Amino acid sequence: MNGIDRGSFLPAGGAPTPISESEQTRQLKSTLLKDIQRSAYVYRVDCGGCNGCEIEIFAAITPIFDAERFGIKVVASPRHADILLFTGAVTRAMLTPAQRAYEAAPNPKICIAYGACGCGGGIFHDLYCVWGGTDKVVPVDVYIPGCPPTPAATLYGFAVALGLLDQKLKAGHHRQGDAERALVAHPGLPLDLCVRIEREARRMVGYRDGRRIADDFLEILAAPANQPLADRVHRYLQTEDDPRLAEVIARLVDVSARPAGQEAP
Amino acid sequence: MFKLLKTVIKTGEATVRYPFAPLPVSPGFRGKPEYDPTQCIACGACTIACPANALSMATDVEQGTRTWELFLGRCIFCARCEEVCPTRAIALSPEFELAVGNKADLYQRATFTLTACRSCQRPFAPSKEIDYAMALLVHSGLEADAVAEQRAHFETCPECKRHQSIPDSDKLTLGQTTTKGGAL
Repeated sequence: MNGIDRGSFLPAGGAPTPISESEQTRQLKSTLLKDIQRSAYVYRVDCGGCNGCEIEIFAAITPIFDAERFGIKVVASPRHADILLFTGAVTRAMLTPAQRAYEAAPNPKICIAYGACGCGGGIFHDLYCVWGGTDKVVPVDVYIPGCPPTPAATLYGFAVALGLLDQKLKAGHHRQGDAERALVAHPGLPLDLCVRIEREARRMVGYRDGRRIADDFLEILAAPANQPLADRVHRYLQTEDDPRLAEVIARLVDVSARPAGQEAP
Repeated sequence: MFKLLKTVIKTGEATVRYPFAPLPVSPGFRGKPEYDPTQCIACGACTIACPANALSMATDVEQGTRTWELFLGRCIFCARCEEVCPTRAIALSPEFELAVGNKADLYQRATFTLTACRSCQRPFAPSKEIDYAMALLVHSGLEADAVAEQRAHFETCPECKRHQSIPDSDKLTLGQTTTKGGAL
C-alpha cells in the first residue's frame, strides 16, 4: 500500500468516494486505444460475486470461444493487467482489496463492470453490506450486463472496451401518444376459451413456454377453417417434432372441445 | 503421429467464428427484454414480479403521469416480466450484445398518462389500462355500446365509486359502531 492514501478511500458518511481519473490518464488511454497493436491482459477482480461471472470468464477463454486468439489473456496479477474486470456487487469487505487492485494496475488501464452485480449491484443492490456496483468505487469504461454474461457477450464487451466494435444499445424514452391502445390477444376467439387454454398450457409446461404454446394453439384454432383442426394441429406438430409438445397439444385440443365449466378429469 | 494428425483433421475446428460471424443462440435463450411501449398498459405487474428491481414504475400525481423504467444493468434475464405481462408487451429476445460504454444507455423509459377521476378529479389509473379493461369486457361477450356507455363509471376512482354506491346515506340508521361521516 506504499504511496496510497488509505484515508481518502475509506467510506465517509456511508459511501465510498469513487476514485477519479486524471486528465492525463484519460488522454493516455485514448491514444492507446486509437492504435492498439498489442495484446490486452485481463485481471479479474472479484468484489464479492457468486462466481457465476468467473465461470463465464473462464468459459470465454476455452477453445470454443477462445479469447486468446485476440490476445486477451487472463493474468494472475493486477501489475500485469491492461484491463480490470470487476465482478460482484462490491461488498464492504472487498472494497479495499478492489481499490488496491485498481491502484496496482499500471496506467492506462480499462475498467470493466462485469455482470448485473458489477453494473448496478444486481439482485443485491439494496443489501446493507454492499456498495452496489463497480462505478461507486472506480471509474468504469464499459458495462457488460448479464447474469452472468455469456462468453459471447464477454467477447463483445472486450471488443467494445478496446474500441473494435460499437455499442448497439441506446437509451430510449417513449411517451404515450394520442389514441394509443393496447390490443387484446386473439380477438376472434371467446375470452373464456382463451383463458382455459392458457391456464391448462401453463399448468402443464410452466408459465413462459405455456403461454407460447397456448398462443400457437389459439392461432391454429382462430385460423380460417378450410381444413379440419386435426390436420392443422398435425402440421404444426411436424414443424417442432417434440413428443412433449404433442402431448400438451392433445390435451389442449381436448380442453377446447369441452364446454366451459366441464373440466377434463 | 499420423494417427494424431488424422484425429485432429477429423475433429475440425471447435472455435466459433463469433465476433466475425453472428452466433446462433439456442431456442429459448433469454436475452435482452424487448419492450413494446404501445402494447404496455402500465399496470405494474412486471415491476412487482421483477426479483432484481430492474423494472420500476414511478407515479407523478402532480403531472398525472406514470413512468416505467428498465435498468438493464440490474436485469438477471429471468423472464418473470414476460410471464406476468397481461398484454405481451415485454418478451425476452435472443439479443445478447448489450455491453455499453455509457451507463445512461442501459436505461429504457416510457411515460404514460393517468386518467383523472370524473368525480374527484384526482388521477387514479393509466388511461390505457382503463381502455384495455373495457376492450376485455367486449371480448368476453358484452355489447360494445353497453360497455362504452359505462365509460363514466370506469373512469371513476374506487373511493368515489364506493361513495356513490351507498343509496341515500342520509336515511341510514346509525348503529353503535358507526358515526355519521366516520364510517362511510
